Amino acid sequence: MTVAEPEATAAPDATLRALQRQLAALVPGDGLMGAGGEGPPLETLSSAVELPRLISAVIIEGGSLRAIPVPSGPTFAFAAFLDGTQESRVLRYMNSIPVIHGTVAAVVRERKSRRLATWRHEVSSRVYAPRALLSRDHNEALSALRVHVVDTTAGADFDTKTGEHPFAIRDAAIHKVQEDRERAEHVLAERWCKVVGEPLFIDGGISANERVATHACVVGVVKSHRTLYAEGEELQCVLRLRAGERTTAFRITSTKRTTVASWYLRLRDPAGHDPMWGLVRVEIAEPPLATPVQIRERADEVSRSILAEVVPLALPDGRWDKMVYGIRDCEEFLRAVM
Amino acid sequence: MTPMNDSDSAASPLGRVVATERKPNTPHEFHFWTALDSPVGIGTIIRVEGAHPVNGQIPEVYGIVVEGFSYTDLLTPLHDVLGHDGSPSGASLAMTERAEIRLYTAAVLRQRPEEPLQPVPMGKVYLADENDVAVALRMDGYLEEGSRTGIPIGVYRAGGTEAPIYLDADFLIGPEAAHLNITGVSGLATKTSAIEWILSSIFAHFPEQKGSVAAVCFNVKGPDLCFLDQPGEVGEADRALYEKCDVPVGPFQNVQYFAPFKADGFTLNTLRSNDALLHNVSSLTWGLREVLQYAEVLLNKDDVDAKADALIDFIRERIVDRPFNDPMLGNKQYLVRSFADLEQWFRDVLSAMESKGNEGWRTHHVATIRKVRNRLSNISTRCAGLVTDEGTVSDLPFGSFQDRTVYVIDIASLEDAAQDLIFARVVTRLREHLEKRDLGVNHVIVFVDELNKYAPNDGQETYVRKMLLDLAERGRYLGLVLFSAQQFRSQVHRRVVGNSGTALYGRMDADELATPGYAVLSPAVKTKLASLEKGQLMVRHPHFTQPIFVRFPRPAVMRGRDGAERFPQGADVNLDAAVLRSLRTLDPSLTLSWVQDAIGIREDDEIIRARNAALRERPADVRKFFLAQLRPIVSAQPAARATSPALRSVPRDDPYGF
Repeated sequence: MTVAEPEATAAPDATLRALQRQLAALVPGDGLMGAGGEGPPLETLSSAVELPRLISAVIIEGGSLRAIPVPSGPTFAFAAFLDGTQESRVLRYMNSIPVIHGTVAAVVRERKSRRLATWRHEVSSRVYAPRALLSRDHNEALSALRVHVVDTTAGADFDTKTGEHPFAIRDAAIHKVQEDRERAEHVLAERWCKVVGEPLFIDGGISANERVATHACVVGVVKSHRTLYAEGEELQCVLRLRAGERTTAFRITSTKRTTVASWYLRLRDPAGHDPMWGLVRVEIAEPPLATPVQIRERADEVSRSILAEVVPLALPDGRWDKMVYGIRDCEEFLRAVM
Repeated sequence: MTPMNDSDSAASPLGRVVATERKPNTPHEFHFWTALDSPVGIGTIIRVEGAHPVNGQIPEVYGIVVEGFSYTDLLTPLHDVLGHDGSPSGASLAMTERAEIRLYTAAVLRQRPEEPLQPVPMGKVYLADENDVAVALRMDGYLEEGSRTGIPIGVYRAGGTEAPIYLDADFLIGPEAAHLNITGVSGLATKTSAIEWILSSIFAHFPEQKGSVAAVCFNVKGPDLCFLDQPGEVGEADRALYEKCDVPVGPFQNVQYFAPFKADGFTLNTLRSNDALLHNVSSLTWGLREVLQYAEVLLNKDDVDAKADALIDFIRERIVDRPFNDPMLGNKQYLVRSFADLEQWFRDVLSAMESKGNEGWRTHHVATIRKVRNRLSNISTRCAGLVTDEGTVSDLPFGSFQDRTVYVIDIASLEDAAQDLIFARVVTRLREHLEKRDLGVNHVIVFVDELNKYAPNDGQETYVRKMLLDLAERGRYLGLVLFSAQQFRSQVHRRVVGNSGTALYGRMDADELATPGYAVLSPAVKTKLASLEKGQLMVRHPHFTQPIFVRFPRPAVMRGRDGAERFPQGADVNLDAAVLRSLRTLDPSLTLSWVQDAIGIREDDEIIRARNAALRERPADVRKFFLAQLRPIVSAQPAARATSPALRSVPRDDPYGF
């Protein structure tokens, strides 16, 4: 085997420091508020936290949500794992208004002979600026940068009352970065489905992209549970799942998203831990015109395949109870290339 | 990472240089990683291509792998245990193997450009090809056509690269540096085999313009060096190594063996005593004159105080080989040429002193005279077979040494004192002749095994050790080169091994590797040294900034053990057969019956003296010369019976008459 050559970087240098140098040259003496870039990424500081909520879902496997031990049976091996990441920092304060530098990356790590290697990856950086709030000179300076500048004030989401709050500006930028990250992930997932079409393990939900959400080779695994698709007794059923058990499948429908089939799966024994320990929610394309039996067989097969990924442990990642090693590998790769 | 095709393997990088704040690169060391299946290992030579030019030139760095690391993304081994519920068998069932790294540390062999000397830059790492190896080891400087002084030492092998490794003759045989030392555990035949191989290589490649070269080897144990002129088995793999190094496969063409006699004075004291091999075996015998020059070798400091030393000096200067008389001895004329003569002289001196009641003679006290007599007379007993009472000398052909010839002196069966004497005298004579440029060759390689016995790091100062130190420190100017071997380098005097420009290491003992002398080697190199295969060596040479691992072929000579089986030692024979065996080397037509007729009923001493004289003079007519050395025997003449007439006649019929 040879060492993979780094992809040629013909594009202009869009790193944080390079752009800071460019801006310093374009707008000299405007750095009184600091050049930014210091401290942890903005994602760790963001106040835009999704509120916890419970949503009742339509059961498509049997009549009610209940726990089912995942039976032994045929399984498949995921051929690849997909994950993305993002990192945002203040590029510069322009008249006290933060201009954000965001980098997004996504990768598909393909498994060959039990070892993971990069199939494709994407890394891109952009500047996220509230153009409507900036002066003409600053806007011209941003336009002169050799990097794409995203206007965070464009679109209907911009709230003119609170939009000037620095935190609101920051959160709006982070939201745009997140969209770019999801877009990068979807591009890779779509390309995988088109080119390879073998089972792909995606970290997170798949319903945001129709072509991905309807492809049979894709399995999305959600680790965060700010939204739980169960209420009352059904919720108790979810939280009391034992290791190797899953819930019956349900349908997730949203006006902005593609309908998918989903179920909860307990990867590890939660004894001694909180009820969410080792709990993931699986999303797959809902088989069209499938009978409950077919749905059950598919859910069992996918669950078995996910359970097969519980070793090796994703330690030392703190989310190792819900994370499979392939996703940790993706994150390590992205950390190296970002 | 993608699979590598054979066609592009040479051109494709196999690794990348990495450096972190905790593990930075320096001008003499750097780190790189490779794919898991890369052919890199400890001792592999690699080339780094920098990415950014320095002074307009892309830097190239050559290095040798000295340490390797492998680890995964695990923070603690406990995580792996937890992941498999403590069951090792479960680990193989995992769908994915953990990310794993092969990280290597390499020592810099050479940087180009040499200046400015900078830390190794980030860059691609390539497996060194044959040309790279030559550049990395600075061999390109002495492999140029027209001024080539390379002596192949073996073949470097790694990842499909096979490159002959050359030593610089100027730094092996002199005058820039010289001497070679080899260390390794006993029993693998690595040391002896390596020396035999290197001698073959030197004889094949020593440059014409550098003059002639011969080797003097001391066989100190068993039959190791007793069959250098006999062909040995060489396998295909070894033949390939010979071919790669361009050294002809075959035994040494010119070998001369020397061995003293046993105590009986006529049986050669060597394992090479089979009749079929005696054609090039000569005896090694010395007389009083030869030995007295090296009395210091045989007499320790307790024996030789200042007074005794003065008397020995007096004997050496005034008595031996000179007419001597003294009024106390009745003006009797003495010509002391042998131990027997000397013993007679001592006896006369002591008798004269006793009869005259003197306690001193010419400032020498009677006790000193008795002591010196005792010690000197004892030499011929301790070194019986080597030192002869009658003063017969059979020696190495000092003055007529031949180019590309090996002179083997078999001292394996001798006592330590005799070994020391032979070693001291031979080396001293070699040095004297080389100083006068009349040895017959320009360079002599002296091979000494068991160096820790002759030049130990501790213990009292001995003549042999002093001589070895002198040889190691000054021999290269004369063309006298020491090739030495021992099991434990740490037990050899530092100045002897320190002056060896070239050092070879076979498989090493772990205890030996733990001594301070090996502190410069990395743990991985030490581990490799402790498990080297037969036929592998680690080489240090002045041109190589780091030790290199090479393979050398099995010598194309018969192994000592095989030779001892194929040519069993000749049985001890009687004097007649021993004389025949010796003289046949001069005249093959001689027969046992002729020898028996010739020696008849003469005394053994006389016969041996005649035999020795013939061997020394090597006459054209051996029969005539040998007979001439024997005192004539007066043939028995029947006495004529005198007839006298009877006084009276006896009656014919008298039966009692007389």
